[in-house]
Amino acid sequence: MSIEPTMNLFVKKTGGWVASQLEACTRCGMCAEACPYYLATGKAEYAPIWKVEPLRRAYEQRFTLIGKLKVALGVEKALTDADLKAWSKVDFEACSVCGKCSGACPMGIEISSLIATVRAGITAAGLAPAGLVEKTEMQMKCGSPNGMCEDEYIKWFDSLEEKTGVKAPLDVKGADMLVVYTSLEIKDKRHNLYDLAKILNAAGIKWTISMDARDAFNMGSIIGNPKVQKELAGKILNTAKKLGVKQILVTECGHGFTTLRDAVPNVFGEELPFFVTHIAELLPNLIKEGKIKVKEGYFKNGHTYTFHDSCKIQRQGGIMDEPRYALKLLAGDTFKEMDSIRENGLCCGGGGGIRSIPEANENRLAAFKLKLAEVEKVGADVVVSTCDNCQLQLKDGFKHYNKAVEVKGLIEMVAEAMI
Amino acid sequence: MNTQTMLELARGPIFYGALLFFIAGMLYRLVTVISLGWNKDLAKPRGDKATGVVKSFLRGGIIFPFFPREKAAYARNPIVYIAGGLFHLSLFIVVILGAAHMLVWKSLIGFGWPTLPLPIVDWMAAVGIIAMVALIVNRMVHPVMKLLTGVAEVLNWLFVFLPMITGYMMTHHMFLPYENLFVLHMMSINVLLVWIPLSRISHFMFYFFSRTIHGVEWGKRNAMP
Repeated sequence: MSIEPTMNLFVKKTGGWVASQLEACTRCGMCAEACPYYLATGKAEYAPIWKVEPLRRAYEQRFTLIGKLKVALGVEKALTDADLKAWSKVDFEACSVCGKCSGACPMGIEISSLIATVRAGITAAGLAPAGLVEKTEMQMKCGSPNGMCEDEYIKWFDSLEEKTGVKAPLDVKGADMLVVYTSLEIKDKRHNLYDLAKILNAAGIKWTISMDARDAFNMGSIIGNPKVQKELAGKILNTAKKLGVKQILVTECGHGFTTLRDAVPNVFGEELPFFVTHIAELLPNLIKEGKIKVKEGYFKNGHTYTFHDSCKIQRQGGIMDEPRYALKLLAGDTFKEMDSIRENGLCCGGGGGIRSIPEANENRLAAFKLKLAEVEKVGADVVVSTCDNCQLQLKDGFKHYNKAVEVKGLIEMVAEAMI
Repeated sequence: MNTQTMLELARGPIFYGALLFFIAGMLYRLVTVISLGWNKDLAKPRGDKATGVVKSFLRGGIIFPFFPREKAAYARNPIVYIAGGLFHLSLFIVVILGAAHMLVWKSLIGFGWPTLPLPIVDWMAAVGIIAMVALIVNRMVHPVMKLLTGVAEVLNWLFVFLPMITGYMMTHHMFLPYENLFVLHMMSINVLLVWIPLSRISHFMFYFFSRTIHGVEWGKRNAMP
């Protein structure tokens, strides 16, 4: 094992964007007070800026006089494999890359983006957690990190006709929209396919699906492997181009959505010839524009609803008003807001691939307790989320702590309330 | 060498040498960071980046001290927030709006500005000193800040604190003859000027980068920075 690939990646990634932010840090530690993993465990090494330490050291020692001086005087040691091994536990097992720390930083440093770079450096050294490596290999082999290979998708897509009488629109050239699901939905939310078909057909949208772009999941983004990220995203990009669609709709995947919308243009060095959207944005807009009709107050049924802001779709995706518009319409005054919402939303504890790392279970469930406290405070017995990974974590967490709280997705709610 | 000669050196050639080092050092830091290159963001923005930048600075520089974005986070470590804010306010009032310092600026850049009455400046200097003591105690006690603190962070604190305490002692004629305190004050400023380009105290320059980046990133998603 060698530190070289890590250093090369850090150097490649260190432009003015990274360097100026590293230079701006005053090491005030305020970011820790926003990090769910630090707050839940009290472990100082979980402070977000400490997770950036390998990158800071590599940058200073390579590019600054003071960094070189520190090494020469023995005040600071050069980065080693042992360091990366230690930071692998911190950056992968106690971070969902949720970005809440960036909002707390008085200097406005995009700490979570810097953490993502550190994670990429650790992966380059071959020190990423085994659980994530396994999922990455699985996705490269069969297209999905959860072992949902092509035959599973064929069965799922075929079942659309049985359930709805409508044939799955496979590879329709000139369609308006390419819909990209995730393998989490095949596994746990198969109805999303049928519900979304009902909505899109009612809205008169010419949509398509494709076996070549079947999973929005991108293990390259999660683990920090640029090659894998490019290869997986490239399948969707090329399919969308080949079919000539005007937009890509990502159903419930959070990181898959931001990867396609925000990362892919820069990874491929081109502006996308189509628009990338998410159901959290599309469905409320379809209601607003009158393209589909829902029964107002359909979910005013004695339950109290609250909305979980997902880190990728809401904080990092910016889609915060739209799902609230739909929920206020559907649940009326039984929809209540938690304390930490919108840009300041609290992570469920299950993002950034942490659910695939068994060693991180304790941290993950400890971080969830903070979310649980907010859900209980608002008195909600139904939590709505637009991210399938968050939904799984919420379900898992409520079950773990024996709480009778239901978790719902926006697709199923809109489909059910349609008239 | 008598005190008068030492003072003349400290406020004369040594000061101008340190100032030159400071300017050259900061320019070097600026150029090296900028020359590392900047990639163009090709992703279609969902919101306006420029609006995001304006909001970022409004929040970061004006509203932020009174209404922090992550209120709960700031409530958990209020010393950083309160003492840090008071220290920066004190620094601005004493170094910019204090009559003695304004005259130094005037001698350097050729023009001056109205200043605050001495008692206000004096009180704010005391507030700044107390805030600095609170900050270093907090840094030594808080588990996260302890972890983040190395020799450089302690030196940063020390080199900022020395001009503050010697300036205050000088104004109040405390403990040592005025001339001696003046020499100590000037020498501590000279050390600080040399130290800034070598340290994170230079964050005042990179603050403008990080808050701009923050504004662009949050603005393009149409989110509040």
